[in-house]
This record gives sequence, structure tokens and C-alpha cells, in this order.
Amino acid sequence: MSLRLVRIDDRLIHGQVVAVWLRALDAQRIVIVDDATARDGFLREVLTLAAPQGVPVEVHDVTTGAARCIELAGTPEPVIVLARSPRTILSLRQAGVPIDVVDLGGLGAGPGRRRLHKTISVSPDEVRELRELEQLGTRVQVQIVADDRPIPFRSLDSGK
Amino acid sequence: MRTFGIVVAGHGTLPAALVATSELICGPVADIAAVGLQPTESPDHYAEGLRAAIGHDGRRVLVLCDLLGGTPFNVATAIARRSPRIVCVSGANLAMAVEAALADGDLDDALVERLLAVGRGGIVETERHRARRAS
Repeated sequence: MSLRLVRIDDRLIHGQVVAVWLRALDAQRIVIVDDATARDGFLREVLTLAAPQGVPVEVHDVTTGAARCIELAGTPEPVIVLARSPRTILSLRQAGVPIDVVDLGGLGAGPGRRRLHKTISVSPDEVRELRELEQLGTRVQVQIVADDRPIPFRSLDSGK
Repeated sequence: MRTFGIVVAGHGTLPAALVATSELICGPVADIAAVGLQPTESPDHYAEGLRAAIGHDGRRVLVLCDLLGGTPFNVATAIARRSPRIVCVSGANLAMAVEAALADGDLDDALVERLLAVGRGGIVETERHRARRAS
């Protein structure tokens, strides 16, 4: 099991990921699963430029991403998987990707979104998707950077 | 006279501090701005601020970013890839900021190469630096 970190973060690659998580996990590959990004050559290029030398960035849609994550989970190579939304991770889980833990790393505020914790806000749909992930046996937790103590989603989810 | 603008893009208060400290070293600097990413700020909102600082007057602008792969760099890269008048550099340090502030003339390839060399050249460890100087 080498999916060292499966993270939901609407910024995908950014400072916390490159400066903290890559180092903390000694990850050597970043796999982004996002349908919109996979379709957008410009965004794909910008994300590829965001990673340090020697760390390849792959961008997949959900279908090819699920197959790729299943393959990588069976290798010893340490990998970080990034997605923008709970929906994507739920789709990966339903497609058979083994995800023990998913980390909420950044979900922006906005109309109709409830603040769970610091930089984590969720829509009612996302709350349902996160609960479904937990029912499927994936632990959902908030951990912004590696030194933070993980906070279980359940303790922040008021049940509304 | 420098013909291009400078925008320092980075996390938190670092850009403002880098600009203020550059001015401490070389006196008042014209056409320089700082755009700091705040902890809860979205990349889209940051992009608006960065575009405003870059301006729309068609002059060339050097964007000095603090961290490769950080949101300020990612946003600046997206802007620069679509606009050839913008040059985006990451790993900005005080030596590079001062070099850019004191630059004369255009933002051409030679200047960009010099900025990269100055930035890297100032990164030493005393004992290794001494050994190399002595040999």
C-alpha cells in the first residue's frame, strides 16, 4: 500500500504540498485525479511546472485515475494522490481504489458552504459524500500539514 | 533606467518584507509592488490582486516568487504562460530582489540569466565557501 497520502485540496499542488508533504512522506510522484484538469492542457502544464525537479506529476480523469491508483497502490513507490473534491475520491473508492484514509487539506469557503475547520468548508453534497466514504470504510480526517494532529471528520460533522 | 516593473509574489508578509528590505539596502525603489497570499485567500482572489499589481499598461513585468509550486508561483506561472511580457522567477531571495531593483534597461534574457546566477551564487555555507575560495 503505497498511496501515502490521499488528499482533497481544491488548490491541488501548492506550498503546503511541495514544501511539507512531499518531504514528510518522501513521496516521489504526485498523481492528480480531476476530470476538468485532465481536459485542460494549459492547467495540466501549470501543475506540472509546480512540482520540484525529479517529482513527476500525472494528471488523470477519474476513469484512468482509478486504474492508475490501483496499480500504484500495489507498488512500493511512495505516492501522493490529490483531488479537488470529495466526489472524485468517492468515485475512486467505488471503483476499487484502496483508500484507508483521506485527508481534507483545503476546501474553500463560498455561498452554501459550511466551515468545518480553518480552511476547510463543505457543501451539503460534500458532507453526504464524505459520510458515504466513511461508510465504505475510508477514514476521513482533517490534517492541513504533516505536523498537525489529524482531526476526525466525524468530530467536526454536526449531523446537519 | 529600468524599463520594467517588479512584483514580489509570495506567502504571507514575505513579499512586503522583501520589498521593504530591498529599499533598506538600495534606497527607494520605483515601480515595485508586493502581493502576499493570506492564509485563507483563494487562488482566484490572489490572481486578481496579482493581475492588478502587474497592471495593464503593456510594460514588461518581472514577478519574483518565493516558492516553486506554491500558490503565488502557480498563479504567476499561469499568468506568465499566457502573457509573454511577464517573466516569472521562483526562489526569490534578497540578492535577486536587489539585483532586479538596481537593474538598468530591459527585462531581457541576459538579465533573467543574471538574476538566476545572483540568486544561486549567494547560497553558500561558510566552510565550503572558504575552501573553494582558497583553492
